[in-house]
Amino acid sequence: MKKQSKMKNKKTMTGAFGKLLPVMIKAAPFLFLVNILLGFFHGISFGVETMMQQHFFDSAVDAARGKTGISQAFLALAFLGIANVACQVLNGAANFLPGVVDGKAGAHLSIAIQKKIARLDPAVFEDTEKLDDINKAEQGKNSAFWYVYNVLAILTFYIPYFVFMGWYLFSLKPILASAIVIIFLPTALAQLLRVKVFSHLEDASAPVRREYEYYETCMAGREYFKETRILGSFSYFKKLYQESLISLQKLKFKATMRSNLFELAMRTVTVGGYCTILWMLYDALMKQEVTVGAFAAVFNSIGMLYNVMEEVICRHIGEMAANAGSIRNYLNFLAMEERIGQRQDAPDWGDIVLENVSFSYPAGKKEDGTTEPVKYAVKNVSLTLHKGETLAVVGENGSGKSTLIRLMAGLYLPGEGTVKKNGIDTRELAMAALTGKTSAVFQKFQRYQMTLAENIVIGDPGEDWGKNHLDSVCAMAGTDPDAFPKGYDTMLSREFDGIDLSGGQWQRVAIARGFFRSHDLIILDEPTAAIDPYEETRIYNRFAEIARDKSAVIVTHRLGSVRLADRILVMKDGEAVQLGTHEELLTQEGEYKRLYEAQEQWYKS
Amino acid sequence: MDKLLISQKKYGFKDFLRIPFTVCPVYAGIKTLNQILVSVLPSLQVLATAAFIDTALGIFSGKTGQSAIFPPLLCLVAIVTYNNLNWQLMSYINLKMQMRLEFAYRTRIAEKRAALEYRHVEDNDTWELVNRVCSDPVGRLTGGFNNILGTANIILRVGSLLAILMAQVWWAGLAIVVISVPLFRLAIKGGQQIYEENKEAEKHLRRANYLKGVLQGRESVEERALFGYTEKVNQQWLERYEAARKISVGVSARFFVRLKGSSLITVLLSLLIISVLLFPLTKGIITPGMFMGLITSTLNLIQMMSWELSDTMNQIAQNLEYCKDLTAFCALSETPGALDVPGTGDTFESLEFRQVSFRYPGTEKDILKDFSLRLESGRHYAFVGINGAGKTTLTKLLTGLYDNYEGEILLNGRELKTFSQAQLKAFFSVVYQDFARYQISLEDNIALGNVLQRDQTKIREAAEAIGLGQAIADLPQGMETPLGKIKEQGVDLSGGQWQRLAIARALYNPAAVQILDEPTAALDPVAESGIYEMFGRISAGKSTIFITHRLGAARLADEIIVVDDGKVAEKGNHENLLSQKGIYASMYEAQRSWYQ
Repeated sequence: MKKQSKMKNKKTMTGAFGKLLPVMIKAAPFLFLVNILLGFFHGISFGVETMMQQHFFDSAVDAARGKTGISQAFLALAFLGIANVACQVLNGAANFLPGVVDGKAGAHLSIAIQKKIARLDPAVFEDTEKLDDINKAEQGKNSAFWYVYNVLAILTFYIPYFVFMGWYLFSLKPILASAIVIIFLPTALAQLLRVKVFSHLEDASAPVRREYEYYETCMAGREYFKETRILGSFSYFKKLYQESLISLQKLKFKATMRSNLFELAMRTVTVGGYCTILWMLYDALMKQEVTVGAFAAVFNSIGMLYNVMEEVICRHIGEMAANAGSIRNYLNFLAMEERIGQRQDAPDWGDIVLENVSFSYPAGKKEDGTTEPVKYAVKNVSLTLHKGETLAVVGENGSGKSTLIRLMAGLYLPGEGTVKKNGIDTRELAMAALTGKTSAVFQKFQRYQMTLAENIVIGDPGEDWGKNHLDSVCAMAGTDPDAFPKGYDTMLSREFDGIDLSGGQWQRVAIARGFFRSHDLIILDEPTAAIDPYEETRIYNRFAEIARDKSAVIVTHRLGSVRLADRILVMKDGEAVQLGTHEELLTQEGEYKRLYEAQEQWYKS
Repeated sequence: MDKLLISQKKYGFKDFLRIPFTVCPVYAGIKTLNQILVSVLPSLQVLATAAFIDTALGIFSGKTGQSAIFPPLLCLVAIVTYNNLNWQLMSYINLKMQMRLEFAYRTRIAEKRAALEYRHVEDNDTWELVNRVCSDPVGRLTGGFNNILGTANIILRVGSLLAILMAQVWWAGLAIVVISVPLFRLAIKGGQQIYEENKEAEKHLRRANYLKGVLQGRESVEERALFGYTEKVNQQWLERYEAARKISVGVSARFFVRLKGSSLITVLLSLLIISVLLFPLTKGIITPGMFMGLITSTLNLIQMMSWELSDTMNQIAQNLEYCKDLTAFCALSETPGALDVPGTGDTFESLEFRQVSFRYPGTEKDILKDFSLRLESGRHYAFVGINGAGKTTLTKLLTGLYDNYEGEILLNGRELKTFSQAQLKAFFSVVYQDFARYQISLEDNIALGNVLQRDQTKIREAAEAIGLGQAIADLPQGMETPLGKIKEQGVDLSGGQWQRLAIARALYNPAAVQILDEPTAALDPVAESGIYEMFGRISAGKSTIFITHRLGAARLADEIIVVDDGKVAEKGNHENLLSQKGIYASMYEAQRSWYQ
């Protein structure tokens, strides 16, 4: 089972390169090409430098021995100088450029991610697995670039460098070329083991670390601060914290010792290899098969060969392995299904008809791999919202109210049954057409850290409505722009040098936003956050105002407030249990009457 | 020792040495020694190579015997061996050091954080500072320690290589020094400029990242999908992103030009020195081996001048910033006795506010203004009022989170400020609006209500009284089931169950005064009223304070206190207040009107 997933992993990683490369090239084609060429010359330049060093040493020794004139040595020095300068310039450019390409590609890819997200079904955000892919797509995008870059660096920089050095050593004395292999083997083996040991460690220590970090938060995190202090539970958490720290450290110590021991063995092999090369060099020198200059130059370059080998294997390949996870998130994200509706023409204002609609959120996976049983958030609901009608939806927490309104708005598509807007199935419609004439104020409305005007206009980004419309919706919602320090241009965020609003003020801005959007259906989900009775009453009155003349759905906890609706739908456990006017429902024995009386009793004198 | 690690003083580079040397002197010492050894190795290697080559040349010309080659050869082998194996030794030392520091230093930092005066927690800027300092304190500390060792390494390495060079040709070394000092300066200055420009880019980037959150986050998915603003916000994002990117590219280009510029100057300088060295070489003043050694060492210097120097300089700049943060963090005031466990409680008699005025530090607005009120033992009180009237602030004063109020608060006739933290903890228990959801076992969650004494039967009683009996029966390991997602076998509770759990913790708490600060906001009104009713019944005979918006629930109280504009506006029982036809009556009417 595990093996299988690993093999699959390898496949996706090679496949990933094929998939990602064209994307990167498309983002910045010219820079990409320059990057590849630079890498190649950069790699070769290191080899050339070693060669020039040997040349120079030899001519210097010859000059010292009086074999040749000093001018030969100067010439060789000039070449060494040129090689060195070229190497430095190339090194600078080769390190500078990838950052530039990354920046340019980053813009393209982020926009692509954002557009893709807009085409996804909003319900995928409730699926924990897919949510993980979405949340990590951005991170995966960054890794993706460096993944492609790493592969290219190995192909265009490191391999040419090693080939060049191999050829050079071979040309000095064939056996010397084996140095490359002697260097490669222990480094690669040590890295393989390290990855293995540490990925084991990561698996074993992740839960312990999570605990350890969590207990630290309990000791002094902001959300626990007051309570931990007044309960005097600091010592309790400190004990847990130190216990988990000790077990974490034990794990880490064991793993490090294991990998260290192996690495020590590998390093000993490395030292052995180093000495072998040294011996070969020494032997060749003594037999006068290589010159003194070659000896010094090659000896100097062995250290570099080791370093570069380690750089390739530990940094580049290691990084690629470490990023495999987030790249997979990214690829999964790219492959995610989009909404399929194609019809671009928005249906005219009319009835909204739900026929046997059921909806369940994506089931999570249990630890043993089986899926949890499907829980319907909305079960077999049939309902018609007539053109111009105001419908109230009531029910206890978790009865499916919020899911139902998302289905009516077209944000979610039903799992079973159909939702039709003026006769057109919501599944057939493209997102923009579906929601074009629908507005909403959600329970968890957004507090955009933008200016007041932007906060409202964002409700209808397609239209340029002008200031009059803005003024009128603000008046309706009870927001007075003149009360803001810079009027409509006031930034509503302290973080971006603006001001903070209170909960009630935000609520009014959100209502203005919902009203700003041109709509023939508006949905109002009651805010549950603590608001005082005055504010609450004001909000209901405003809702009533907005709902007039249009189709409207109001979700509420306050049963008293539903009388402003034409009809009331009572939800319980995902099902529509009652539907009727307030008076009708009160005459029936049922959920509505039970809820209403429970609330009403507090207000009977 | 604890005091030594964290104290109110100015932190600087020497503290990066001091703290590791205090916590784990042996490991820190070994690390330092090793670093010194490592830094002279390149020079030793130059000397050994020189000796080796000269001997080899001697052998060729028949001047020296074959066996003379072995001492320098062995030297080379020894150097290579040490260079390769010391890393393993050091990784052991590093790990040990990290472990010790985590235990001592990180815990100490967490302690300091937990003991901070509460106002620091509510101040966003300060809290950001706290997060910066506390997020990876050991990493920062060892980073600083390594930075110092790295700097010493560079100085030693350069110094010893220069010494060899100067021993041969004194002026060449001098020339390098004279020319490198300005380069060095340039590198530092460049670092500062980069810091400034990055700050500018950072501004755009922060905005871009915010917009990205709007475009990609889960929070905004409903409005994003419904309003369809992706395209428009994408444009705004791109503008900011590009602005930041262009600055960064410019910064990075200049960084590389400067970096490589100084390398090129060093290359040219080296070439000059080497070409001058050629003359003594041909005259036999320096040997070919030494000549090669010198060249190797000057070429090594070029490498160092390039990456290592600028890396080290960047790190120094960052570590200096961290020192500033650490100094500011350590200077933050603490509440004495903040971490104490509750004392054993005295009996509660009365609580009196006399002309109490209060404003949050750094704000202008009086939250409480001449607030006066007397509460007696054994009664149920309800505090009501509009948002921002100051109800929650009262609980913060009572529990000692803030004590910068004017006027007097008398607990049993004695000024509140004279009570220790432990005593206050014994008097009050609070269930906050944003109560803590401790992801530990359900039983421990309740047990935290009384950390002095654990009584399993009472814990179970509290849980059952508040209606968690069924929930416990459903949990795989009953009361011992770990809650939340921290433990692998953990189970999450629903929002309503968490709320009941927080209230069960309060029920188990032996504190004399129980305060419920609207912990039920996310419940629907029916469930909420039920909880208040239950709590009132269970805690009969105790002194309780409910803070609530739901006036229906307030009716349960013996006395209702209407807080308005930082003052007690009205008080009395439900009927009294209704007949007064004041704020309470009109608030009540506003809610009641829906049911008529």
